[in-house]
Amino acid sequence: MAKPTVIVVGADKGGVGKTTVSRTLLDYFTAHHIPTRAFDTESPKGTLKRFHPDNSDIVDVTSVADQMRIFDTLSNADSSVTILDVRAGLLSPTLRALRDIGFLDSVKKGQLTFVVFHILGSSIASLNEIEDTSTFVGDSKYFLVKNFINNTSFFEWDQATHSSYFKKFKDAVEITIPKLNEMAYEQVELASVPFLTFVANKGLKGEAANYSFVLRGYVRHWLGNVWAEYDRIKLNDIVATGGAAPANSPRVQVVSRS
Amino acid sequence: MRPAPLYIVASPRPRTGKTLIARLMIEFFRADGRPLVGYDLNPREQALAIRFPKLVWPVDIVNTRGQMELFDRLIADTASTKIIDLGYGAFDQFFAITAEIGFLQEARRRLIEPIVLFVTDPAPATVRSYAELRGRSAATFVPVHNESVSLMFAKQDFPGTRAECGAIRIPRLSPIVRGVIDRPSFSFGAYMTEQPGGPTEVHQWVGEIFTEFRELELRLLMGRLTSSLAGSAAVRRNA
Repeated sequence: MAKPTVIVVGADKGGVGKTTVSRTLLDYFTAHHIPTRAFDTESPKGTLKRFHPDNSDIVDVTSVADQMRIFDTLSNADSSVTILDVRAGLLSPTLRALRDIGFLDSVKKGQLTFVVFHILGSSIASLNEIEDTSTFVGDSKYFLVKNFINNTSFFEWDQATHSSYFKKFKDAVEITIPKLNEMAYEQVELASVPFLTFVANKGLKGEAANYSFVLRGYVRHWLGNVWAEYDRIKLNDIVATGGAAPANSPRVQVVSRS
Repeated sequence: MRPAPLYIVASPRPRTGKTLIARLMIEFFRADGRPLVGYDLNPREQALAIRFPKLVWPVDIVNTRGQMELFDRLIADTASTKIIDLGYGAFDQFFAITAEIGFLQEARRRLIEPIVLFVTDPAPATVRSYAELRGRSAATFVPVHNESVSLMFAKQDFPGTRAECGAIRIPRLSPIVRGVIDRPSFSFGAYMTEQPGGPTEVHQWVGEIFTEFRELELRLLMGRLTSSLAGSAAVRRNA
């Protein structure tokens, strides 16, 4: 049986598309028949839960009770993968809490697989966030996600600055989330369904819907590109086996997209 | 159920006679009494939509709303014969979008048969464009040789998707007659009905082109029958 996997999706900055990435991950695991549960930390109203009501719950990740609800159930949950969609500003505190409760020690001992998707914004502050976050992610699979879905241009990142930061974190792997047509994105928001359900032209309860064929086509194409990124980093293998690398090879490598 | 054809009259270059060919097709199918709808993808100069205001929708596919107006309607309508006058300005974007949203595959799934009537010319860029699109597209490509655009037609540069479909030839028309048919009130269908068998140049020209269209339809039908029979034989062999 696969080790329990915890995937933290977060950023210290808001509006960078954390929930969008969490939604694509839930769709990816659904398509691969990997039982997955998610926790939405946008307490109390929740965002992720609106799209995935059946397998997500709203929690307050700063409360001990909810931390117990998430982490004490990792081994006996029906789902082998747990996604934690961390609200803006709570990534570093969450990682700190994980260290304090001994979660990171369990990861170090190989009892759990820990994956961090750090969603980057366009500003230089995002690069500083990497420095803060990296102190907690030593034994995790650490992915830096450049999310272009909001038309982010990463304008403040000149190549020299970018390189100087990334050189410090050789274990980080970059992922690129491409841009999705704005109207298609808006329609999925209005429909409040998973991306996969929208593509299948279904409502939240599986009923037939009447979404635009054009917009469904755009979402399908975009989701295919996002999943190609997850395939590239072998996400499936990571959650199935913990992504153990051969002893002599680097645990992770920096990958740049041309 | 008989597939509903979707004719896309296209060329990557301007002034190759696309709108005239689309207009001839509309008149040909209208005379046949078929359910028919046209789309004019020339946002700057909507000559086809102006000529057939009740039959042809002007659409600009630069924005997503325009793309939805076109492709959502095309997919939803599985009964009408559809004709697109694809302006050269929208040429690249049209084929890029169809590939991205999987339009041609979905059209075939819904028994809509996309046929690209590609108006040829000898420019190397046109030859390359044809080869590239024909290679990756799920549509049936039929080259159109408009003699007013180029005298010579290099058949080897424009092979059809299916050998049986051949090419369509649009004969050259004298400038005087061209002036007549370009009049806003001129209708090929009405002209052919009102002067049946008339020995004029227009009559002969229209007659030849309508015969080409009729033959194309027959060749497409024969192609479908052949592949259907081949499919049935394969099922029997495997049974």
